[in-house]
Amino acid sequence: MERVESIMGLEKVRNGIVQRIDHDRPVIRICMTGCRAYGAAEVRDALSEEVIRKGLVDDVEIRETGCHGFCARAPVMAIDPLGLFYQQVDPEDAREIVSRTILGGQIVERLLYREEDKRGRLCVHPGDIPFYRSQHRRVLANCGKIDPTNLAHYIANDGYKALARVFAAMSPEEVIDQVERSGLRGRGGAGFPTGRKWRFARSAKGTPKYVVCNADEGDPGAFMDRAVLEGDPHRVLEGMLIAGYAMGASKGYIYVRAEYPIAVENLKIAVRDASAMGLLGGNILGTGFSFDVKIKEGAGAFVCGEETALLASIEGKRGMPRPRPPFPVQSGLDGKPTSINNVETLANVPIILLEGPEKYASVGTEESKGTKVFSLAGKVQNTGLVEVPIGTSMREMIFDIGGGIPKGRKFKAVQMGGPSGGCVSERYLDLPIDYGSLQEIGAIMGSGGMVVMDENTCMVEIARFFLSFTQSESCGKCTPCRLGTKQMLSILTRITRGEGRAGDVEALRRIGNAVKDSSLCGLGQTCPKPVLSTLQHFAHEYEAHIRDKRCPAAVCDAMMISPCQHTCPVGINVPQYVAAVGKGEYDRAVEIIRERNPFPSICGRICHHPCEVKCRRGELDDPVAIRSLKRFAADRYFGNRHKAPEPFARTKPQKVAVVGAGPTGLTCAFYLARMGYGTTVFEALPVGGGMLAVGVPAFRLPLEVIENEIEYIRRRGVEIRYNSPVNMNFTIEDLMEQGYEAVFIAAGTQKSQHIGIPGEVDGLTGLSYGLSFLRDVKQGRDVSVGTRVAVIGGGNTAVDSARTALRLGAERVEVYYRRSREEMPVTDIEFEEAVAEGVQFHFLTAPTRVLADRWRVSGLQCIRMRLGEADDSGRRRPIPIQGSEFSTEVDTVIPAVGQAPDLSFLPPDSKLERTRWEMLSVDPDNLATNIPGVFAGGDFVTGPAFVITAIAAGRRGAVAIDKYLCGDTSRVELYDVREARPPSEEKVDDLQEDLGEKPRVVMPVRAPKKRVSSFEEIEIGFSEDQAREEARRCLRCDLEQ
Amino acid sequence: MAAHETVQQEVDLNDLEPILEGFKEEKWALIPLLQQVQEKYGYIPPDTIEPIARSLRLFPSEVQGVVTFYSQFYTTPRGKNIIRVCRGTACHVRGSGSVLKIVGQNLEIEPGETTPDLNYTLETVACLGACFLAPTMMVNREYYGKLAPPRVMSVLKQYAPSKKEKEHGEG
Repeated sequence: MERVESIMGLEKVRNGIVQRIDHDRPVIRICMTGCRAYGAAEVRDALSEEVIRKGLVDDVEIRETGCHGFCARAPVMAIDPLGLFYQQVDPEDAREIVSRTILGGQIVERLLYREEDKRGRLCVHPGDIPFYRSQHRRVLANCGKIDPTNLAHYIANDGYKALARVFAAMSPEEVIDQVERSGLRGRGGAGFPTGRKWRFARSAKGTPKYVVCNADEGDPGAFMDRAVLEGDPHRVLEGMLIAGYAMGASKGYIYVRAEYPIAVENLKIAVRDASAMGLLGGNILGTGFSFDVKIKEGAGAFVCGEETALLASIEGKRGMPRPRPPFPVQSGLDGKPTSINNVETLANVPIILLEGPEKYASVGTEESKGTKVFSLAGKVQNTGLVEVPIGTSMREMIFDIGGGIPKGRKFKAVQMGGPSGGCVSERYLDLPIDYGSLQEIGAIMGSGGMVVMDENTCMVEIARFFLSFTQSESCGKCTPCRLGTKQMLSILTRITRGEGRAGDVEALRRIGNAVKDSSLCGLGQTCPKPVLSTLQHFAHEYEAHIRDKRCPAAVCDAMMISPCQHTCPVGINVPQYVAAVGKGEYDRAVEIIRERNPFPSICGRICHHPCEVKCRRGELDDPVAIRSLKRFAADRYFGNRHKAPEPFARTKPQKVAVVGAGPTGLTCAFYLARMGYGTTVFEALPVGGGMLAVGVPAFRLPLEVIENEIEYIRRRGVEIRYNSPVNMNFTIEDLMEQGYEAVFIAAGTQKSQHIGIPGEVDGLTGLSYGLSFLRDVKQGRDVSVGTRVAVIGGGNTAVDSARTALRLGAERVEVYYRRSREEMPVTDIEFEEAVAEGVQFHFLTAPTRVLADRWRVSGLQCIRMRLGEADDSGRRRPIPIQGSEFSTEVDTVIPAVGQAPDLSFLPPDSKLERTRWEMLSVDPDNLATNIPGVFAGGDFVTGPAFVITAIAAGRRGAVAIDKYLCGDTSRVELYDVREARPPSEEKVDDLQEDLGEKPRVVMPVRAPKKRVSSFEEIEIGFSEDQAREEARRCLRCDLEQ
Repeated sequence: MAAHETVQQEVDLNDLEPILEGFKEEKWALIPLLQQVQEKYGYIPPDTIEPIARSLRLFPSEVQGVVTFYSQFYTTPRGKNIIRVCRGTACHVRGSGSVLKIVGQNLEIEPGETTPDLNYTLETVACLGACFLAPTMMVNREYYGKLAPPRVMSVLKQYAPSKKEKEHGEG
């Protein structure tokens, strides 16, 4: 490379390079930085080989570039001049790429990105991909485009043009002035105005002055600077040169992490080439300005990202911070004025000087201008590098660009700013990302690391994780940081081990604030943030760990035996019964289930299986089909002839009465009987099962299944009195007088709630409420629906009503729901089944009036909604769109917007305390009412919930009543207790001989066309072979130590 | 057996001289010098501390202080293959704990230790900056991402000592 002696000379070189570019020559631009970790080098080799084989060496350029950003799809490449974007390329694809795309100009569809939505549109160009669509790639403009080791590429793309312009026509003051006017703020996290920093350094006394580029990107979860250094190193050098010119510095240092070998390598090449060309060194471009750059490799100390510690490290000392002032701009390296700027800050500088401060400032917010690069990682679909205008909302970042959370899981939090930042909860997702806005909610912009966390991430454990990091990285110079981090870590560790105590939360807050206020440097001052912000936004998780010894995300191993069992509201020993199914011991499997849940057959059909969401196998491929295995075992059990089970031995003198034979009541009665109490269930209806019997249609839960389960419970000694309502004539007090020493009320929710819109009048023909509609159908009453049915609501009752209406012969069934699919509490399977059967869903649509003609429903008037900002619960509030009303002709309207308990059976003078919402007031811990001996639980107390939660309430009630009758007033504690080791032949190794990916066995179902004409059960159930195969997919987390 | 129990190898201090020579003129030379010493010996042999201090006109305690401050300077011999399991946030939420466990169980060493045959050293690192491929690890200078247990095993196999090396190592 020839030395260039003047500014004009540089332009001549540039023109020469640009003129020589052959725009028709195919270029394969393959990412050779991040993608290398996923086989990019092998792909490149295969491509080169193929190009040689075809004799195309001179006709095709294979260019090794920096990061393209879309790292989730590694290895990626772009092909010019077609402008194609290929992803997840394999070495085997090389032949086809060369023959079809390079030679034939055709697209290899298989390598294109396919949109993840239903339509699955193929994206040919990067701009078509949602990930790139709303990005503004300016700092990253060259990344993925040029060969970072080729200076000519940089020059051809306006490289060193800003420098030339500065040299030719601007004084240092003018440069500073422009940078100040651009509004550029430090991208390292603190957001100090860059121009002002330079001005301070310029006016400070002392020579030589230094420019230091802070490339010690140590925040876990951040890789923005790495991408810039690896993919476009000259841009950073140009930024440093301009900074040096502006502040009058002659020396520059780049302090770069040694963990980034490619960045170090590319930087070294860049410095070498720029020096050879006369862009670094003495008398640059004949201007008389001299500037040298040295690369300093870090040696592994996080604290060196702090500016004063970084300076100490450059000077060859232990990297410990010192108090400021004096600030480095006054007294930095060697005591001389030093401006320390982050990589991304410096990379912005050439853009400002090239396009002018006004244009630069045209994007961003009032407070902060320009774009910011974020590294998007963690539990998000499209991990990678994202550059957006400052002020973009987190929702846009995570859901539009990031593609949302993988595996259909729920978003929980996003961690911003690494160990110095905080966790942001769902309710702040709509906040524009800016330095100030994040500060307000306890997070920071930081350097731009965004780690997304889903419902399977434990926030307490995350706080512990960060503290363990900062504790070990604390340099130990100042006391608050050295001792405070240690104390906080030990408290957090205790909490995650299930040994948390009352007062821990307060202690954490106190110590955290002390460390924040009194530490010497940024590390100490910010390290409590992960703790304080999780305490602020996720206090309930701390509460669950400390009080209930539960980890809601099923992460903290010490508290649980297996994640599935821990998550199951009743705590069934899932791995053990799954293993029993795997061995063909079906009766034993049912026995294990019944330890915690007397309804294996029912839950095997309709449980919403929260256990499967937490199944660790799901991290590998799919979660184990736990629910279906339960059903299989139960079907086997009930299908075999057993001799009738014996009643439990009556070992206790007391009698207990249970009101209501639904899942909660029967569970409570079953476990009380097992404990040896005499139990009698009083049921108003002629059948048992409660909501299961009347509210769940037979195609999901056949009546016979319920009958079998109740019969078993009855035979174990629970007396069930049907047609025996508890009411004004036969009160709770009467029961107590009859000698029942405790009463458990589990009367469910019988009252359908009204929507509360005009025209919703009782007695209208064609208007019936979801629950009573389902009940009438299930009891075999003559129910007719019209041809066009509108169902209102988004819960199980709504979906079940719609599907039932189809089966009764409705031609068109539409569900209107004011929120979106995400907020619907039904499982994916249910939803997809309903859609397959022909139910149409209208989301974000709310009814405003029921139209009627002579007491007969004639139509429904609706309004469209849009989702506004998140409310306190984190759900986005639906807001009506003015002027979007429309009406539709229907002859049947089935509102199903919720049920409430019906307290009318209690006499008005009953002493039972009620809440404001006409519910019973009950202690959530032991389910006790204000009257001693009277307990209540299930839907009746909480409102409609899932069947497994109802069963859990029944079991809790049984434990509470047992305690009460034994005179024990302590808390009801239902912890996971590790039983004796399972038989020794069960070793993890034996079971995991085959760890390869193996998707779950698909449940066979009846075809949609056939099933809409009958109420036959939809799921057919596993065959024995299928069940045993599926059971063997279990990873047996319970056997791990 | 942990690294600190392995027999200290003989160190040839003759190799040190040219390195010291190269830094005679350099300002703030200590850290880059130590990096070169480590490059040469694989660790910072205790016997080199005093000559280094003399050459840079520092106290040996200053040199030792810097060596122990930075996590990438090692005072004991290290394995031929350095396995760095990333424990960054993104890797953490994607299960790097299990990756570390599997590697540790297979090599029968804890993080920070070296196998007795000096073939592997296992370390954790705060973040490799390859979060998009979490969970990740690095063996020597190669990155490996999206690690599921089977992939971890196959990566480890690539770096297993050959039969010949094995015999040598055991003998």
